[in-house]
This record gives sequence, structure tokens and C-alpha cells, in this order.
Amino acid sequence: MLAEKMYKFRGELQEQGIIFCYSGYMTEEVLTGIGDAIKKKLRLENTEKAVSRTIFSVFVEQVQNVIRYSAERVEDDRIDDATELRYGVLTVGLKNDSYFVSCGNKIINSDVERLDNALGHIKNLDKDGLKDLYKKTLKGETPKGSKGAGVGFIDIARRAEDFDYDFMKIDDEFSYFCLMAYV
Amino acid sequence: MENIKIEGAERSPEVDFDFSTNTFSLKGESYPEDVTAFFGPVISQLEEHLDGLSGAKVTFTFELIYFNSSTAKILMGLFETLDEAGENGNEVLVVWAHEEDDDNMEEMGEEFGEDLEFAKFELRKISV
Repeated sequence: MLAEKMYKFRGELQEQGIIFCYSGYMTEEVLTGIGDAIKKKLRLENTEKAVSRTIFSVFVEQVQNVIRYSAERVEDDRIDDATELRYGVLTVGLKNDSYFVSCGNKIINSDVERLDNALGHIKNLDKDGLKDLYKKTLKGETPKGSKGAGVGFIDIARRAEDFDYDFMKIDDEFSYFCLMAYV
Repeated sequence: MENIKIEGAERSPEVDFDFSTNTFSLKGESYPEDVTAFFGPVISQLEEHLDGLSGAKVTFTFELIYFNSSTAKILMGLFETLDEAGENGNEVLVVWAHEEDDDNMEEMGEEFGEDLEFAKFELRKISV
């Protein structure tokens, strides 16, 4: 029963072309570990170097977004921020000859509009527009509430062939956000 | 100023800052957990050093294989600092070395380099 259940789950993932799947609390160590495994797997498959590089960088930006921004988290106030853990789901796969890196996490409802606008804007920009926005963001002040450069999504848009994203309302407090980048 | 030499690691680049010869370099991969913690101290020392410098020959070589978007922000700041050193009467050369088959990294270099007004910029291919 145990094996049967897990094998079925594995089959469901494989049907979607998923090569890697991680669901759980994301840490920098998880990023390093999965990142290594992805690199090795792509090398074994003789994936084109440029494609491997793109997959890896989109993966890093996606995971670091979860580590920094996922609204599903546990923390221990008694110690310090370093004990905070944030939850997300990550998949990397190959479908119709195209690699994808998909990531999902909870966000608070009040962030949906801002994120939707930002991503909608990025999605509509052409190559030069993305470059301009990228450089402006690098030079400008870090946006309020941002712990990173705030350029992660622009970076993904520039490197990936395309990306899709959407939101689903969970309850009065949270929504679920998913972004899938195609390489 | 004491020279800085930090060995490269899986997620952070080798840092080689030789203040006596004004030769500086960053090499390898850069996606540290906390970019500010990694780059903050070394860059403030570099800024302090360059601040009092005039008429010197300064060379900064970037030889990066991969960097994440948080590192990109640090790099942008470094380019600005180096250009200022050029404006202050130093002969500054910024070298951007990239693997020959990495068009993306070449493009990144061009984008950073195109904003330099006072420092010289050079793209260099590394054979793989």
C-alpha cells in the first residue's frame, strides 16, 4: 500500500513532466542542495549550457523569493530572525521540449494587486523595456518591504522564454500565488 | 590598507583586493544567502581606499560565472564607485571577463559597462 500510493504520486508528477519537486520549508541549504542536483541532472542529460544556466538562475530567483516573501511561515520570536522558515512548492520539469521552473507560495491578500500589477507590467515589456526596467531597479532604492534587490522577477522575465502567473484566493487573509517560467 | 583575499566558495566569489597595486578582482559564482553581509565590509573598504585616491592606475576585473539578481545590484553600485574614482582623476580600467560561450554574461557586462563615463571598459572572453 505504501509503495503503491507513493508510486502513484510519482506517476502523477511524471505525467506533468516534473523532474524535481520540493514542497516544504525553503532554506538557503535547500536551495544549495537542490541547485546542485539540478546542475548534475542537466549535465548528465547533456542539456545545452545556455539552457542549463537559465534554468539554474530562474530556480535561484524563484526559491529566494519564497525564502524572503512567502506568507506561510513559522518563526521563533525567542531566538532571532534566522530561525524563520517559509513554505513553498517548487517544480522543475520538461514538457513539450521546453523546461519549466514553477514555484508557488501563499501571499497575503493585500499584496495580490501590487504583485499582479508589477508582473503584468513586466510581462508586457519587450527586450529593451525589460533591460531599462532592470537597470533602473538596480540603480534605484530597494522598494519598501523588499529584502532583496527587487529585481528577481525582471531577471526571470529577461532570461526565460516566457512566463505565466496567477493567483487563487484561499480565505480572507491569504491567496495562493504561482509563477511558471518556461526556458 | 590591508589587502583582502577571500577564497571562492560554492555560492560566493573569490575576492582579491590588492590595495598596494590597486588591482582588484571578483571571480566565480555569486548568490550568497545575504549579499549585504558578504559584500558590505569589502566594498566599504574599497570605497574608503578609492576615496582618497588620485592619479592612480586602478584595475578591477570581474570574472563571474553566475550571479543572482541581488548580486547584480551590488555590481551596479561597484561600477558607479569605479566610475567615480575615474572622475576623481584616476586611470580606471574595468575588465569584464566571461566564458566565451556565455552570451548572456557578455550582454550583462555590456549593460553595466555602457554607463561608465570616466572609467575604461573592456570585455574579455575566457576560453572554456
